Amino acid sequence: MNKYLLSAAALLVLGTNAACAHITLETQEAAVGSTYKAVLRVPHGCDGKATTAVRVQIPEGVIAVKPMPKPGWTLQTKKGKYEKSYQLYGQAVTDGVKEVDWSGGNLPDEFYDEFVFRAILTADLPVGQKLYFPVVQECGDAVDRWIEIPAAGQDEDTLETPAPGIKLTPKK
Amino acid sequence: MVDTNSKRVGRIAGGLLGLLMALVVMASTSQAFAHAALIKTDPADGAVLAQTPTQFSLTFSEPVSPLVLTLVKPDGTPVALTSFRLTDQTLEIDNPQALKSGTHVLSWRVISADGHPVGGSLLFSIGAPTEPPVVSEAVDWPSRSAIWIGKVFLYIGLFLGVGGAFALAWLAGEGRAGQRFVTAAILCGLVAAPLSLGFQGLDALGAPLSHLAQPVIWRTGLGTSFGWTVLAALTALGLGLLSLAGPRVLARPLALAGLAGVGVALAASGHASAAEPQWLTRPLVFVHGIGIAFWAGALMPLGLALKRQTAGAVAFLRRFSCAILPVVAVLAAAGIVLAVIQVQTPSALAGTAYGRLLLVKLALLVFLFTLAAVNRWKLTASAEAGATEVQRRLARSIGVEMLIVLAIFGVAAGWRFTPPPRVLAIAAAQPVSVHIHALEAMADLSITPGHAGPVAASMIIMTGDFGPLDAKEVTLVLSKPDSGIEPLKRAATKPGDGSWRVDNLVIPVPGRWTVRIDILVSDFKMVKIEAPVDVRP
Repeated sequence: MNKYLLSAAALLVLGTNAACAHITLETQEAAVGSTYKAVLRVPHGCDGKATTAVRVQIPEGVIAVKPMPKPGWTLQTKKGKYEKSYQLYGQAVTDGVKEVDWSGGNLPDEFYDEFVFRAILTADLPVGQKLYFPVVQECGDAVDRWIEIPAAGQDEDTLETPAPGIKLTPKK
Repeated sequence: MVDTNSKRVGRIAGGLLGLLMALVVMASTSQAFAHAALIKTDPADGAVLAQTPTQFSLTFSEPVSPLVLTLVKPDGTPVALTSFRLTDQTLEIDNPQALKSGTHVLSWRVISADGHPVGGSLLFSIGAPTEPPVVSEAVDWPSRSAIWIGKVFLYIGLFLGVGGAFALAWLAGEGRAGQRFVTAAILCGLVAAPLSLGFQGLDALGAPLSHLAQPVIWRTGLGTSFGWTVLAALTALGLGLLSLAGPRVLARPLALAGLAGVGVALAASGHASAAEPQWLTRPLVFVHGIGIAFWAGALMPLGLALKRQTAGAVAFLRRFSCAILPVVAVLAAAGIVLAVIQVQTPSALAGTAYGRLLLVKLALLVFLFTLAAVNRWKLTASAEAGATEVQRRLARSIGVEMLIVLAIFGVAAGWRFTPPPRVLAIAAAQPVSVHIHALEAMADLSITPGHAGPVAASMIIMTGDFGPLDAKEVTLVLSKPDSGIEPLKRAATKPGDGSWRVDNLVIPVPGRWTVRIDILVSDFKMVKIEAPVDVRP
């Protein structure tokens, strides 16, 4: 029994540490209908292993995505159809980047780095709610998925691997 | 002095008998368990199905034959299921009709190879679970008592009656002391045997005592393996009676055939005869039964002969004491092997009703063996030499032995209601299953065996509307918040049959666990579903 309690306590301590070290977005708030510069902060590898790839899923309603290249990393995007058509400078846009991948790099666990892209948050996005950018962090064979989105009424802090998100504010 | 002593012993034995009956009753109160244990069902207990199944299947630990199969619909109406097939230990039952949505109960009552009927029910739902209809399986005390009493009297008829006839024919010489008692015991058995068959039929169909007169009860009783026991017992009892009443020349062969009939009757049904390996257990039960009949049967004629100081009493005693040692040795050896097969682990002795009855029987046997040893080695020599006072003392001691023997019959008859640990172990090893249903995904999880310790988990993952779900990864998370144990998290593997498996999992403590299944639906989407699951000790 003691052994279980000990390991439980140990896990609790480790668990709280991990909670401070999720992949997050630097700017936690943005207005709908604006251009948003997303800075993904990667504070550690996967369980001590060096990060070799970061992939982010672009949620519906976020268009005109332009990722920033990083030296030493291969940058790729995956494009696809949007669920609906959006207006961009008077033009209808129906497809675009759905996923951004930085791969082939090497970010040791003890170093910190940032991964950046710019995008337009369309005016249709629901003001007052949170918008999530699920991220998959790969470290060779190991994978950490920061993809959990809280269900209605669920406290985000209870999630083990929450997706980074921002709060949507009214259009300026 | 001797007199008061033996009275005291008699009182103790009487008290012991009373205590024993109480124990038998206590030991058999909470028996919802199976003798043949249900190992697997399809649909699984608690399963939620999209459509009406075309058939149900029940797999047992031993071959069974069905007695009553009923499907209880969500509104409580029972439907008798009459079309079924038996393949080895699996019972396949056709479902005659389309089922409406809601929770159904499949109630089954089958008879296992040991001749003991067992029943149970399993719940499944079509579409979504509803409040299950009520199905009761209460213990019918009048029937149960009748079965027990019938069994005790059958033992009296077989062991004291047929065994007594054998002793009179082969050991007593010209002496006829105890012939009236032996005849009475046989008649007692001749009444008890057919009645037991009726009681068996009642138990088999789960009918109350008042239905005893119905022909279907008797047909069912005869159709079980206990029917063979009754037929063999009636034959043995008849042979015993003939050896007493028939021509003297034929007395010996008839009594010998009767004794063999006792062994056959016992080996034809019962827990011990149904246990594997059959080539060993059935002959052992046969030998055990013959041994009991030889020993117990001789006690009354011998005691009476000694008490009455008949002419042949000393010769009777000499023959009996010459033969009894090897007989008891074989009897005990067979009994020990059977007990080991049935009980399996020492902890089951105290932990199960069957084991507790065995302990009571062993305690009685210690008492019996002590008495018998004293008789054999301290009293027999001087009694054979003709010391009349010792002969009387021996006769009284034999009287006490008789009481203990009766008490042992009572205990042995109590086993009728207790599944042996061997069978309980099979039941404990069956998996626990849970169906977890959520909007986005659902899973059928089964943990094998369903008790704490090393287990393996198997999962079938589906979409929320019963469609196939090709998950990228599946992780099983078991937690028990009330125990302070942190979640056990294991990645599942795909063995290739469409399921997901977690092997080498150890569930440290029994009780209610929360099981969560993390299903990675796509690269960026994880569905987590959870439900409680009860892990047996």
